[in-house]
Amino acid sequence: MAYKNKYRYGPPALKNNVDMQLQSAFSDGNWSTVVRLAAKRFATFKDPYYEAIKVSAEAQQQGAAEKCAVLVHVDELVKSKKTPDIDTLDLYEWACQDFIGYEIDFAETFGPLRARWVKANASSPMAASCLQGCLEQWDLVSAQQIAATLDKTNANSADRRYMFWNITLTFLLSVSPQCTEASRKVYSLLTVRQLQKAADITENSDKLEKTDRGLLTEEEVCLYYRVLLSHGTKEEFLTRLRSPKLGAISQLRQGHKLLFCECLDALETWGEWDTIYELCRDALKLGLDGSTTPFFVCDLRIWKKALDEVQDVLKQFIELKDKATPMYKKNISLALLETTFGLPSTTINPNHENKALSPKVIQIGLFLDQYYERFAAFDDVKGYVAELGYEEAKTFLEDVLPKIPGENPTKAQQIIITALESRLRYTLTTCPQTLSPHPTVVEGTDQGKPFQCRVCTKFAKSPCEDCLKKLIVDAAEAYSQIATDKELLATIPKLDRDPRLDLALVMGNSLLKLSGLRPGLSNFAQSLWQDVQPDVLLQAVLLLDTQLKVTPNDNGLRLLLVQLYLLFGCASYAYQLWVPLEVKRTIQDALSPLFFDRISSISPGLFQGTKPLMEPLRAYYSQSLRDPSPVRIWDAFSSGSYTSILDMAEYDKKLRTSCTLVMTLVEERRATRYFGGKLDVDIDDHILAADIVEDTTLVHKTDYGSFPNLESSNGPPIQEFIRLGPGPSQYLDLLTYTPPKDYKPSKPADAAARDKAYTLESLTRINTSLTDFLHKPTTPTLLTTSETNYYTALSLLSALTLTAISLPKSEPSVPNIVSQTTQSLKTTLTTLRAGLMSPKSPVAVSTQQAISSLCDMPAFASVRDIAMAAKLSAGFVLSYHEKETARDKSGKSGLHKEVVAEMKALESAATKTLADAKAHVGVLKGVMNESGWLDRLLNVVLGEEDKEQDEVTEKVSQVVEGRGGAEEWAGKVVDSWREGVKGWGMVRFE
Amino acid sequence: MANFRRFRPDDLNKLSKCNLDPLTETYELSFYLQYYAKWPSLFQVAEDENGNIIGYIMGKLESSPNVYKISEHYLPWHAHITAVTVAPEARRLGIGKLLTEQLEAAGDAGNAWFVDLFVRKTNHKAIKFYESMGYSIFRVVKEYYGDHSTDPTQNSEDAYDMRKPLKRDVKKEHIRDDGEKHEVDPTDVW
Ligand SMILES: CC(C)(COP(=O)(O)OP(=O)(O)OC[C@H]1O[C@@H](n2cnc3c(N)ncnc32)[C@H](O)[C@@H]1OP(=O)(O)O)[C@@H](O)C(=O)NCCC(=O)NCCS
Repeated sequence: MAYKNKYRYGPPALKNNVDMQLQSAFSDGNWSTVVRLAAKRFATFKDPYYEAIKVSAEAQQQGAAEKCAVLVHVDELVKSKKTPDIDTLDLYEWACQDFIGYEIDFAETFGPLRARWVKANASSPMAASCLQGCLEQWDLVSAQQIAATLDKTNANSADRRYMFWNITLTFLLSVSPQCTEASRKVYSLLTVRQLQKAADITENSDKLEKTDRGLLTEEEVCLYYRVLLSHGTKEEFLTRLRSPKLGAISQLRQGHKLLFCECLDALETWGEWDTIYELCRDALKLGLDGSTTPFFVCDLRIWKKALDEVQDVLKQFIELKDKATPMYKKNISLALLETTFGLPSTTINPNHENKALSPKVIQIGLFLDQYYERFAAFDDVKGYVAELGYEEAKTFLEDVLPKIPGENPTKAQQIIITALESRLRYTLTTCPQTLSPHPTVVEGTDQGKPFQCRVCTKFAKSPCEDCLKKLIVDAAEAYSQIATDKELLATIPKLDRDPRLDLALVMGNSLLKLSGLRPGLSNFAQSLWQDVQPDVLLQAVLLLDTQLKVTPNDNGLRLLLVQLYLLFGCASYAYQLWVPLEVKRTIQDALSPLFFDRISSISPGLFQGTKPLMEPLRAYYSQSLRDPSPVRIWDAFSSGSYTSILDMAEYDKKLRTSCTLVMTLVEERRATRYFGGKLDVDIDDHILAADIVEDTTLVHKTDYGSFPNLESSNGPPIQEFIRLGPGPSQYLDLLTYTPPKDYKPSKPADAAARDKAYTLESLTRINTSLTDFLHKPTTPTLLTTSETNYYTALSLLSALTLTAISLPKSEPSVPNIVSQTTQSLKTTLTTLRAGLMSPKSPVAVSTQQAISSLCDMPAFASVRDIAMAAKLSAGFVLSYHEKETARDKSGKSGLHKEVVAEMKALESAATKTLADAKAHVGVLKGVMNESGWLDRLLNVVLGEEDKEQDEVTEKVSQVVEGRGGAEEWAGKVVDSWREGVKGWGMVRFE
Repeated sequence: MANFRRFRPDDLNKLSKCNLDPLTETYELSFYLQYYAKWPSLFQVAEDENGNIIGYIMGKLESSPNVYKISEHYLPWHAHITAVTVAPEARRLGIGKLLTEQLEAAGDAGNAWFVDLFVRKTNHKAIKFYESMGYSIFRVVKEYYGDHSTDPTQNSEDAYDMRKPLKRDVKKEHIRDDGEKHEVDPTDVW
């Protein structure tokens, strides 16, 4: 079954009876000799196989006519309805390799030919490799036909795969776009029926033989349930689930856990809580009565599901606990916590005594008693602490937590508790129970503080700023205490987790909140700095960066910083932090957006490095999506892993429409355009974008799992505070809504040659797409303000160009819409220009202004892109006009006078904007080249040298060891800004 | 805190806690999927409450290719651990051990003679981990790795081929006490 090798790495072997001379010419790739010899043999023997050799060899030669002759022969084979010769098929398929998917469709040629051959030769060992061939081209229709033939021929074979290949493929076909609507129902029914029958055979026979057509292996059983889930009824699923042989528990008893897990998933989506409870309880009992390794079933998930009456079982497990691995001990402890939190408070505390020291508080205490020193302690209890009432939380933090390390704690134990407490206090600032509502209008004026903080009693916003400040001060003190204590410093490497990291995270997160950063703020509605205090935000970055030097291996901290630096426009520095994470190969799809999303608009200069920036990503997708079929799918077929087949097919579908894939293409193309480079193909024709069409929903799988998240579930996680834009950028739209370079007007030379109708048609298409997209209710929530501006401008431009070109010259008056649209575009350009810095401006650029511009590069990029699109569109219309006038001297062609005038005005406005944009970069460059930047930056972050600092700044200074300690950092930030500006200096503005 | 279940391809989007750790290698998609396709029940994960993968084991059940049958290095039917890893935050809780035991049980169920694996000679933690579960060195593969994990001046590193006998090996024929003295070339390993 070495099918793959045969075609990918070289030609198939010729039939044995072919003479040596021809054989060796063929294996040497001596095609002209092969053509000559094969023609001769054909004349002599009249065996059409020789003609096939000749035609296939011709296809290897240069001439277009020879190359394509094979296509005609294939077509004849298909039409003839005769059973083809398998060796001829192999030859032709090899010779057509480069045509498949382009000139010919496998599913209409080789697929049906192979299916036809198998029908006539069902017991040949080659039949399975025909199946493989069809699967590798993902021709499910032919594959299913072959599988059905094979199943029929091998109906009671001990090789059970034939039966299940048939079922699996019938199922795959029934859910595939390759299936016609008419057959879909038939195939669905067929799959269910076949499996039902098999299930009944299993249930009704004492012992199943390999040759029986029942369900035998775990994979076969699970395939049945998967199909039921998709095409069967819920009732049947639920009944089978409890059945004696194929039920989830009986499978579990046989050591098959997959079904159990999948059933829980299904039941959960249906909300079948009673059944879930029943199953989990039975599973736990199975663990106790020795029917399976007790801990095989001790997942936390199972415990959580079996909550209510579980206390009993739990007790028995606790007795077993000493023998259990620490993991399950911990799961059991967490289960205890979960039970306490899951029960109505009246059951666990009927008398409402001492509300503060509630069973919940006690249970958290008991858990931490065992686990407070462990790496994951905070994450384990965070959710529970956040659920405590205010009084409970207070008691927990003040009375319970400090006593956990016992009477005589070591210094290390104390500091671990401090770090844990600090993080939990931070989490509580994100919980509503720490704030009471309070009238915000006092004596007629709005105080802007709608709460009273229950912790510090002050009036507050959410979160309470006074509490955040206190957290910083306390954490800084603890941090400094560690830094000066040699004994403690020596113990830290032996701890599960460096407490300094935790304290730094509390300080960093508190500063981020204090700076005014909020989810969505970084969408650049206006400058980030209109709402955010740069000094405080920079303090957070400085502090976290200082900590990264202490704990360089903490990936969460590193990722946090990467995002923060991107927000700050320090892309080259962010890249330096990113590289050591070694995000490569498979994990790129989930992790690369953390660095690369929108990167071309932050820092196009990064694309000018020695290595192509996105090469590893492109290579990953090229490799993983090279074949039309899911990677390794045949392996799963030949191993009888039916559920793997289904999951791999699903995964493949998602990967082909991955947001990260599209990001890869778009970012690179945008950068290429910035530098005036040429793009090889239109995005629509890009091989990696083959599965992406206008209404494709892109699959977004960014993995934020490693981010340190101190927030409670009452608010958004930290990444939403610091991300550039709302979620990953909507790359699909950039693709289908054709960015400027792909935008047809940018190629005036081609366009003029094209038929006017074609131009109008593509303009209409672009315009309709853009309008639809902009009117979708979800769109505004997906784009940054600059992105919205950009797409709006493109939509207007396409409408304008369309009207301009289609309006007859003879029309007495031009519709208002033309001047209105032009006016609106000109106004947009004027507004955008006003935001740019000009070298003529009399006042020197302040540090704050410069920093704010440096952080606003994505908005700046949109100014450039809008102006460029306007210029190209107007230029296109005007050159169209000129060509028409030149072509047709009668004066009847060409465009309306007023239209020409409007376009000239638009072109001029756009040109001015571009010139100003270029000047803006020049100003930035000038400012960044001024001396004294280290001090200027440090003055912003830590205040001027001889001025008094506020308490928070003073503490932050202490942690980072003052200006001296922060200097190296400031140097890196300034260098990175300079580098970014230098990159923008290379971008084309005309 | 942790659930154990079979790997599924979507888990590849949740590997950051394990794979950003420098000791854990990240492979091409086809590598993971090959295991998932051929030995799905030997590819198990531990996931945390948020669905992040905090540990996984990837293994196979095989013997050496038939052409090597006459070689002294021929390996009979056995289970092999290709990768086992636990996220730093979840180590020393027994997750690695549970994953490995699961694979050993599958090996016993599949009537394998032993479980084996390769580990860098300098990966002391992992060696301790395997030893704690009854694995011992069977042979040393010279310069098995193309780089060195702790010494950047070297361009190769030896591997220990470690083994644990399974139930089928009643007479303990497939292990030896002086494995460290048996050196082989990477070309003897298939
Ligand atoms: C090796 C590794 C998988 C162990 O996983 P783990 O879940 O932490 O291990 P367990 O908790 O199951 O440990 C079981 C036993 O192994 C031993 N052990 C594990 N880690 C150890 C260490 N760092 N030092 C000494 N012994 C150790 C102990 O005896 C332990 O039992 P104990 O905790 O009761 O003392 C994990 O450290 C890891 O992922 N390392 C990086 C990747 C790697 O090197 N993989 C192996 C490649 S071949």
